[in-house]
Formats: sequence, C-alpha cells, structure tokens
Amino acid sequence: MAEVLFIGLSLSSILLLIALGLAITYGAMGVINMAHGDMVMIGAYVTVMSKIWLDLSFFAAIPIAFFVTALIGLVIERLVVRRLYGRLLDTLLATWGISILLQQSIRLEFGLSFFGINIEGLGPGLQNVSVPSVLQGTVHVAGTDLNAYRVFIIAVTAVLTLVTWAILYRTSFGVQVRAIIRNPQMAAACGIDVKRVNALTFAFGSGLAGVAGVMMSGFKTVFPDMGSTLVVDGFLVVVAGGVGSIYGTILASGLLGEINALVALFSNDIIARAVVFAVVIAVIVLKPKGLFSFKGR
Amino acid sequence: MDLKRKLQLAAYALFILSLFAVPLFTDDFGLNRASKYLVYGMLGLSIALTWGYAGVLNLGQGLFFGLGAYMMAMSLKLMSPTSLAQGSDKPIPDFMLWNAEPDAPIELCCITPGSYLWIPFQDQWFGVAMGIVVPVVVAGLLGALVFKNRISGVFVSIITLALVLLVRLIVIDAQPVTNGFNGLTDLGFFTVFGYEFDPYSREMYYLVAVSLAFVLVAGRLLADTRASLILQAIRDDQQRARHLGFDVPLYQTFFFVVSAAIAGYAGMLFVLVSEFASPTFMDLSFSVTMVVWAAVGGRSSLLGACIGAILINVIESQVSETEALVDAWKAIIGLIFVLVVLFLPRGLGGLAHDFVDWLARRDREKAHGLAASSSSPEREVKQDV
Repeated sequence: MAEVLFIGLSLSSILLLIALGLAITYGAMGVINMAHGDMVMIGAYVTVMSKIWLDLSFFAAIPIAFFVTALIGLVIERLVVRRLYGRLLDTLLATWGISILLQQSIRLEFGLSFFGINIEGLGPGLQNVSVPSVLQGTVHVAGTDLNAYRVFIIAVTAVLTLVTWAILYRTSFGVQVRAIIRNPQMAAACGIDVKRVNALTFAFGSGLAGVAGVMMSGFKTVFPDMGSTLVVDGFLVVVAGGVGSIYGTILASGLLGEINALVALFSNDIIARAVVFAVVIAVIVLKPKGLFSFKGR
Repeated sequence: MDLKRKLQLAAYALFILSLFAVPLFTDDFGLNRASKYLVYGMLGLSIALTWGYAGVLNLGQGLFFGLGAYMMAMSLKLMSPTSLAQGSDKPIPDFMLWNAEPDAPIELCCITPGSYLWIPFQDQWFGVAMGIVVPVVVAGLLGALVFKNRISGVFVSIITLALVLLVRLIVIDAQPVTNGFNGLTDLGFFTVFGYEFDPYSREMYYLVAVSLAFVLVAGRLLADTRASLILQAIRDDQQRARHLGFDVPLYQTFFFVVSAAIAGYAGMLFVLVSEFASPTFMDLSFSVTMVVWAAVGGRSSLLGACIGAILINVIESQVSETEALVDAWKAIIGLIFVLVVLFLPRGLGGLAHDFVDWLARRDREKAHGLAASSSSPEREVKQDV
C-alpha cells in the first residue's frame, strides 16, 4: 500500500509541476495558456540540446531551461497574450495556435530542414535523456525501496512549490501579483504596474514549465508533441483546485494523482485516467469555482 | 426585404448551387474527397451554432461526431463481407474473434463480454437512428446538467473537453466491443432499398451535398427564430435574460442538442464516405481543429464557418501533395489562427458582414441623397407635419 501511495505521490508531483505555472498564469492573469505544455516540451529539448552541444550535465540544464522558457514566455506575452486580456476563450484559442507553431518549429528545426540543414537533437524524431547515475537505482526509505528519480522529482516539486509560495506570499512582487488576482483594476488604481507584473508573472509561469520539462525528459521520451496531453492534465488540476488558489492546485494535484494510482492498481492505466477525467467533471459541475478559490475576476 | 437580407439569401443560394456544380469538374476520386470537406463544413457549422449564438465554446464536439460515426460503423461492419465469413450464419465482426476466449461460442450474444450490444445493429436503420439518438441523448443530459447548474463560459469548454477525452479512453479500453485503438475498418456499403452507396460515386456525393444544404438551410431558419434571439440575449447577459423570465437552461440545452445532432449526423456521413471509424475522431486536436475552422470562417456565421472549414481543408489537401510542406502547413495554420484571433476575431464571415454593412450604408446614403435633391424642402416639411 505504501508503494501505491508513493507512486500516487510521484504522479501528483508531476501534475503539480506542470500545473503550478498554469495556476499562476490562469489565476493571476486570466490567461488559458495552451502553449504551456509546449514550454514543458521546450524545457525537455533544452536538456537534450545542452547535453549534445554543450556537454552539460542534467542538473545544469535546469536553470538554462528555466531562463530559455521564461524568455519565450515573455516574448509570447508581449506579442500575443497582452492584446487579449479579458478575452478568456480567445487566449485559449490564440495560445493553441502558438502551441502548434512551437511544435512545428522544433519538428522543422526552425525551418532549417527545408535548406537541408539538420540540427542534432531537433527534428521530428524521438530523443532520450539519460538520468545521471546519482539518480538511478533505489532509495531505501521507511522499510520500502523507492525509485530514486521519483524521489528526486518529488523533492524538486516541493522546492519549486515553496519558492513559488515564498515569491507570492513573502515578497512585494508577490503582493502585487495577489492584488492583481483579486482585482486588476483596483490594483492598477493603487499604482501597481499591471502590465509589467503580468509580463513577469507569465515569464515565471513559463519558466516553471521549462523546469518541469527537464524533469519529464528523465523518464519520458522527448518528442515535439509531448506537451499536448500534459497541458490538459495540468489544466484540469488547476480548474479542479480552484482558479487563483495555489493551495487548491496543490491539493487537487495530490488528490488526482493518488486517485490515478489507486484506480490503476485495481484496473489499468487507461481506466485510471478516465476516472480522473470523471472526477474533474464532477468537481466542476458540483463546485464550478473549484475546491478552493478566491472571489476574483 | 432589405439589401442585407437579399445578399445573405444570395450567398446561401450561390453556395448551395456551387455544391451541386462540383461533380461537373471532378472525377469520382475527387468527389470522395469533396464529400469529406462537406462533412467538415457541416461540423464547422455545428460549432458556430453553439459558439456564435449561445456563446458556448464546445471543445468536445468530436464526442458527438465520434458517437455518430461509431453507431453507423457498427451497422456497416456487420454488413461487411468479412463479417459474414467468420464461420457463423449470422454476421460476426472479425476483430471479435481475435479478442474472444478460445472456447467462446461464435455468436454476437456472447462471443466477447459486451458483444451483445451489437445485436440490434444487425439492422442498418437501427445504426442510423442511434447515430442521431445517442448524441442527442448525451448532449441533452450533459446540457441539462451543465446549464441547470448555471455553469458557463470556459467551464463548459473544460467539461466538454474532459468528457470527449473520457469517452475516447473508454472506447479504447473496450477493445472486445470497439476494437480499441484500431477502430472499425473494412465496412460494408450503406444500402437503401437494394441500392448500394459506393463511397467513390456521384450518388454518395449528392447524398452528402443534399444533407449539407438541408442542414445549412435548417440552421439558417433556426437562427432566425425567436428562440435564437432569446439565446443571443442569454449569451450577452445571462442574468438579465433569467430575470426577464426566460428558461435559460432550456434554450441553451436545446441549441446544444441541435448542434450535437448535426455533429452526429456529420459523423455518420463521414463513415459512409471514408469507410472507417476510429478513436482519433475523439482526439482533443480534432475537436480543437473544428474550432479553428469555425474561427477562421466566422464564429457567429453559419455559412462562414461552413465555408471556413471547406476552404482550410481544400488548401490543406493541395499543400499536402508536396511532402515537405505538410509540416510547414501545420505551422502556417497555427500562425493563421493566432492572427485571426488577434486581428479578425469574427473571421471571414465578419469581413463579409462588414462589407455588406458598408454596401448598405452607401446604398442608403445614395438613396437619401437622391431623395433630398428631388424633393422640394416644402414637401418635406409637410410630411413632417
């Protein structure tokens, strides 16, 4: 049983890792970022590329992935998302377009493949990342053998969640973000530079997705479409948890991850996923605002 | 009848006429492709009906399309020659034998767990009826549940999205009944009074074209009813419509159901034309692609969304002839989508409406100018009195 709970916990931490960035962008900015999954994909590719081209270790890829995806996020915010504030469904549609663009630019190697130039590590094929030897094997905790990489993911997720919490609740920037979550007009009236804070928040959320991508690359094959299913999962977690509530997102990811692991124990992975979808639908129907939510925009 | 109305009628008439002119220009292979595009057009229309008029963005329209497709495909599967050649006097789908226990009786009742669900589908018309009934019932239940609970906006989209993925997983998991990932292939021909509809034939194209023309006209008539006006009022201000005494969930559910029925019907036609049904119909990307078609064509214009879907698919098939451009085309679609949402939120249909408005205004000004110059000032004063 402890083993199942542990697997559930590691599923939860992956969900949380993906959902954390979405929770911030959706909650704070009212932007449904369908390109979030592709930020995860880019983070994974950064891991692949930094190994091939710079011969950097897995750990060194983490900060690089964060900055690369944050930068891309900043550009997306400037070019597209900024024009769509207040049009929730349109942000969903426009970022879906961006998501296709990002996937295709990796697949086509930024268009260079037309000129016969191929960049190693990009293109339509599958890429693999080998986990550093420190993280291979098992760890012995409380009488059970646990997969070391899963423990590592749980630890990274915990750290990132804490950092995010600290930024939101212990810095003046976080106060501004939370003010915008509650009421953007009032925040602007109080002298908060809403545009700047929004841009930085979006970049931070994207950066978190990039780190999630590094983690995903360790146990999943890396390919251009890998983000599409992830963003749906992350999004369902955010909505079930309650928009704009970081606690809600944490609890919802824990709940859905454990449900997934428990149901998979008694049936199979496909049914487990189906049950998770059913739970999310039930939550939205019964509590449209999510399990935990603020009154906000 | 004012100018706008006339032009709208002309546009519909022109479109429907050109539907029936297509067979003059292409062979049976081209007609088969064209039939698929028309089915996509029907899907685009069904999206616009809920999105434009009810403000409900359905991200799971593939659910209704897929249900319609599977119902039809189950009947046609039983009519396929291979189903008759499985060593039983009654038809048995070939995949059921592959999935059966070694000592299971070769009977639809009990060859695999759940195979009895197929028994009524031995009658083709049962499949046809279910292709509409199942989407309608599912949409009715979902609509009642969602709209009664006053769920709106993005949450409806998320529920529809989660539901289509949920059903997709169930279909994949129920391998002994649905053939899982592989879907239903190797289907028989749709037969009406002894006449077999060959997918690569003029008759099949006409069946699809007549269907689309009918749906288009019916959709237009529906959009002109009082119910549609109330629906638009609900879209613009749900609270106000509720306080004015309208049964808000009823109107929303009704239009949701109509849209689902159209999508289910489109699914059935698609199976006739393409001869397969597969869980990919319920992929998220397919449902979102339908929304892209509607958005480019015009989210609040039935004809626009329909033309948008056809146009995108025609261009896509042209571009896809060159292998290297397939992936580039996808990128272009992504870019077009971003640009349309940013700069042309009402799509091509919106452009057409603006153009018509401009024409009408010019017309009015002209008429006004003429009237003013021809009539003397005194007469105008008299009229005022």
